Amino acid sequence: MDRRIFLSSAAAGLVGSALTACGGGGSEPALDLAGSPRRRPGTTTTVVTPPVTPKSRVIVIGGGMGGATVAKYLRLWGDAISVTLVERMPTYTSNIMSSMVLTGQRSMSSLSFNYDTLRSKYGITTVFGEVVAIDPVAVKVTLADGTVLAADRIVMAPGISFDTVPGLGSSNKMPHAWQAGPQTSLLASQLAALPSRGVVVLSIPKTPYRCPPGPYERACVVADWLKKNRVGSKVFVLDANPGITAEANAFTNAFNVVHKGVIDYRPGVTINSIDATNMTLNTSLGNLQANVINAIPKHKAGKVVTNNALANVDGRWAGVDVLTYQSTVAPGIHIIGDASATTQPKAGHIANQEAKICADAIVRLLAGRSPDPSPVTNSACYSPITSDSASWLTAIFAYDPVSRTMQPVPGASGEAAGRSQDNYEEMFKWFNTLMEDSFA
Amino acid sequence: MKTRFHILAPLVLAALAAAGTAQAQVGQAGRLLASNCFQCHGTNGKGPGFDTLAGKSASEIYKDLKEFQSGKEGNGIMAKHAMGYTDAQLQALAAWLATQR
Repeated sequence: MDRRIFLSSAAAGLVGSALTACGGGGSEPALDLAGSPRRRPGTTTTVVTPPVTPKSRVIVIGGGMGGATVAKYLRLWGDAISVTLVERMPTYTSNIMSSMVLTGQRSMSSLSFNYDTLRSKYGITTVFGEVVAIDPVAVKVTLADGTVLAADRIVMAPGISFDTVPGLGSSNKMPHAWQAGPQTSLLASQLAALPSRGVVVLSIPKTPYRCPPGPYERACVVADWLKKNRVGSKVFVLDANPGITAEANAFTNAFNVVHKGVIDYRPGVTINSIDATNMTLNTSLGNLQANVINAIPKHKAGKVVTNNALANVDGRWAGVDVLTYQSTVAPGIHIIGDASATTQPKAGHIANQEAKICADAIVRLLAGRSPDPSPVTNSACYSPITSDSASWLTAIFAYDPVSRTMQPVPGASGEAAGRSQDNYEEMFKWFNTLMEDSFA
Repeated sequence: MKTRFHILAPLVLAALAAAGTAQAQVGQAGRLLASNCFQCHGTNGKGPGFDTLAGKSASEIYKDLKEFQSGKEGNGIMAKHAMGYTDAQLQALAAWLATQR
């Protein structure tokens, strides 16, 4: 994007006003958007232009699945809410589908999504920078360049960060590739260099981790590729969990039948130490040396949560009220997606729906009303098992006022009866539509 | 399922009638429920994606969802999905989707 144009238009007014505002309670400087049509009340117009006179301001930190969606729906549903999205990177790389980059079935660029439509169609202001401090009481955000943004509410959607792996240091020898980006390309190049009869290890951390079926899906995709391209190779799946954590039928069949002899699945494995130089893992099963080691470390909330005393659940995750996604320690801050501690899976589809519940709740709270008392979320995803077949998983969660948690609705959760080519084709439709609902 | 529906139906109608005075709130609840459809059917049900929902009547959407619930439409994702909502919720989200053209 052209940063100068961006700074000289609506954004300059907003950032400038934010610098002087205090907790959103100050005067409301008008943004100069002469000639822009205003949104008609009660209708969804094609273009949702920014409010000429914002009634309130929301800062969204993190432009992934949750952050992009909450920004979009605050503008779609809100009453003259100005929305500023703060994000480190000018583009988002989808984690969903990223294992298919490892086998050359997709390119990295096909997973890249920018913020142009959120700006042009929904009037969202984007600021690309690093958040260094958050004031939960005054509702202010400080960026690395010294900019201070103030708002009525902050929504954080920072995703995950990883525990450091003892013995690995900053070495690139055992990429996790669990945040799509350079590590995905690195793991792809390591697999490309694998000899025939090579050994690949994929290690799965204890739950909760991002995308429950994802590691098993990756094992399948890689195994399918190895069978055709690196004959005689094997994938050892070392699972820290006592068993397959999602789509157990599909993956049990995949490991025991479809990819029999290629995938060796071992549940309940502890990794004691790693020797990156010799590409060896010391595990509860003994030492294992491999050509490629895809080690996915244990997860915690994104650093902006842990650094700002918001990770009040196990010191790893942000506790939230799932009616509003307000932090249980800082009610001016809402935390959605993988960073929050809820009973729902950490996954892009569910982050998208949490974002909508959060946006709806913020709209109501800003109008002095109560949040919806009985929200429902849903998760759906497709998992490739081979290069032309996939399985699926779905779940619906409803608010339980007794436990004050989202609980799976009986009978509404489950997995596909079996893998199929139809599922594989539907997977792309699901992905494209989900990304469009989040970014466009 | 069928018995439960018959018992619930009068309550639903009563709830919908009572809600007439507070239509905005009911509409907003229906919108939030309906937004569960958008990930696969497009924002506001307008596609692109799986079947476009905008342009259908509330009774058509409700009937389709009940058929998914009954298992008549096979055992795909929507058969599971339709089980996730109470009858009142299906009515509310169908009513909201019917406002989208």
